[in-house]
Amino acid sequence: MVKVEQIVQQTKLHPYSRSVSIIGVGSTPFMYTVDSPETNGLTEGELFGYAALKAMEDAGVNPKNIDYYFHGEASPLNGSNYLVPNIQIGNWFGMKGKGSIHHSEACCTGYLAIEQAVNAIASGKYDCVLTACVEFGDSTPAPADNVETRKHPYKRDKMTMDKFLRTTQWLYDRTYTRALMAGQEMIYDDAAEWYVRTRKITAEQMNDALNWMAINSRRNAATTPLSLMNWSKTTDNPIKTYDELAEEQGMTVDEYMNSPFNPRMGDFLRAAGVELKCDGAAACIVCATDMIPQIAPNLKHAPIEVLGIGSSALEATNPHFEVRATEEAVRQVYELTGLSGDDLDLFYANDFIITSQLIAAEIAGYLPFGEGWKYIVDGRTAWDGDKPLNSNGGRTAFGHAHAASGLADVYEACKQMWGEMGEHQVKIKNPKTAMLRGYGGAQNVAAIILQKKD
Amino acid sequence: MAIKLEKVVEHYYEALEEGKILGRKCPVCGNVEFPPVYACNKCGNYETEWYEISGKARIHSIVMPAALSSKPEYKNLGKYAYCEIELEEGTHLNAVVRGINKKKRQELMDKLPEVYCHAAIFEREQGFKTVVFDLDEGQ
Repeated sequence: MVKVEQIVQQTKLHPYSRSVSIIGVGSTPFMYTVDSPETNGLTEGELFGYAALKAMEDAGVNPKNIDYYFHGEASPLNGSNYLVPNIQIGNWFGMKGKGSIHHSEACCTGYLAIEQAVNAIASGKYDCVLTACVEFGDSTPAPADNVETRKHPYKRDKMTMDKFLRTTQWLYDRTYTRALMAGQEMIYDDAAEWYVRTRKITAEQMNDALNWMAINSRRNAATTPLSLMNWSKTTDNPIKTYDELAEEQGMTVDEYMNSPFNPRMGDFLRAAGVELKCDGAAACIVCATDMIPQIAPNLKHAPIEVLGIGSSALEATNPHFEVRATEEAVRQVYELTGLSGDDLDLFYANDFIITSQLIAAEIAGYLPFGEGWKYIVDGRTAWDGDKPLNSNGGRTAFGHAHAASGLADVYEACKQMWGEMGEHQVKIKNPKTAMLRGYGGAQNVAAIILQKKD
Repeated sequence: MAIKLEKVVEHYYEALEEGKILGRKCPVCGNVEFPPVYACNKCGNYETEWYEISGKARIHSIVMPAALSSKPEYKNLGKYAYCEIELEEGTHLNAVVRGINKKKRQELMDKLPEVYCHAAIFEREQGFKTVVFDLDEGQ
């Protein structure tokens, strides 16, 4: 049983009114679009449309068979100069005139994209929907001066770190939290501090765990076809594994990770533990399970049922917001499903700060209490280990196209459960059950359980 | 009492200008909300009443600022850390606590949560006042 501190009010989930399944997934590569002549100039309609159509193709459905679409984007004004992006890209994927809604929950958007789609099907209103998310995290419409100026139809400029940081303050409450200064600064190290204090490990052991999460993540992403790392091989600046970088410097990987090449950015956090913000889109086709024979009669793989989704939101003034909200979201979905961490074959945690991997996996019981850091340091959580954790490399290596990241994790989880990952297929036999811990938006948390149907 | 459309935020900041730190207290369960909001997050009562907090607090956790977690304007704070604090009234929140450097943090870690601090009013660079905490003397 997951213990939840009293700061968080609890909610009891009820079973869906009917079974809902994911039947198709699609994704663009995660990219720095501006950095390559092949991708420079791509637009939001093109990214979203590509992911949507790939998901339809994967499910074997025609756009005409889809009743409605959900559009997720964390920062449409900043990233695309749009206010109603679901309408503005609505001609691109064969669904002209269908109903839709845009939603925006920062880095949790892609996980709540599943929540919205499942609720729409489970209610009985629709039988089959598209849910997709897109983000230009690394570029912004040209000129990149401010959101008010007139923009070029398709040209984009690199998103500067200054512009990114000025706009990410919008995540936090203007009335109190920004003024009090602490809440928005806690995201980098609070979870690490909490883990060290509650598990009684040393700061050095936490440092090792943080470094090995980063090492494993790049090893994972290096084998993942759609990762930013893989895409970057086509450019002049490929993102390398830490093993490769260490070798170039004549160091062991441990030496490299503790050197000025991986500087401290936080109290515990090092540079390797911070997201690689980038551009991308991902999509899913979500369908009433009992309607699959009519809607997708040629479905090539087993439906992935959404068993339940726990939710908790804690504003950043609240201590240990990530930990507490994760505890509650996980508690809800375990209470609903009767499952526990022992039942999970795969685990994904949105880790724009890499510590999330460790704390989310332990709270969910996927890794044993107080022992998770050892699993990580021993390499057991790498994609080819016995406890795969973010098998696609997560936000620090697969990349973070903010809203799209959650659905990219859903893409990876489904493909792994379908056994469709080729050389990147996890080594555990026939993975059937996965949890995805969504997190973002200062801070919204979701705990999603997916299970492959027999 | 009745549910009121009320300028809680403006009143809170005006009180800081007068040297008072205000929260809101639930008339049903006694829970204190800080910073102040309409409803009680403990029992769910719709209304809360203005309440001047004592400012006494203790510290449950300490995170030191670093490159990502500080801003140039925070220099005016001197030495400080980000902490989970518990007000004497029982409210927990993330707050800045002044008077803590890395060495001091090491001394304090084994004593948590029996480490005490008190609220202070601090002028932000944009010309408004906010609440920070100072480590009690002798800690």
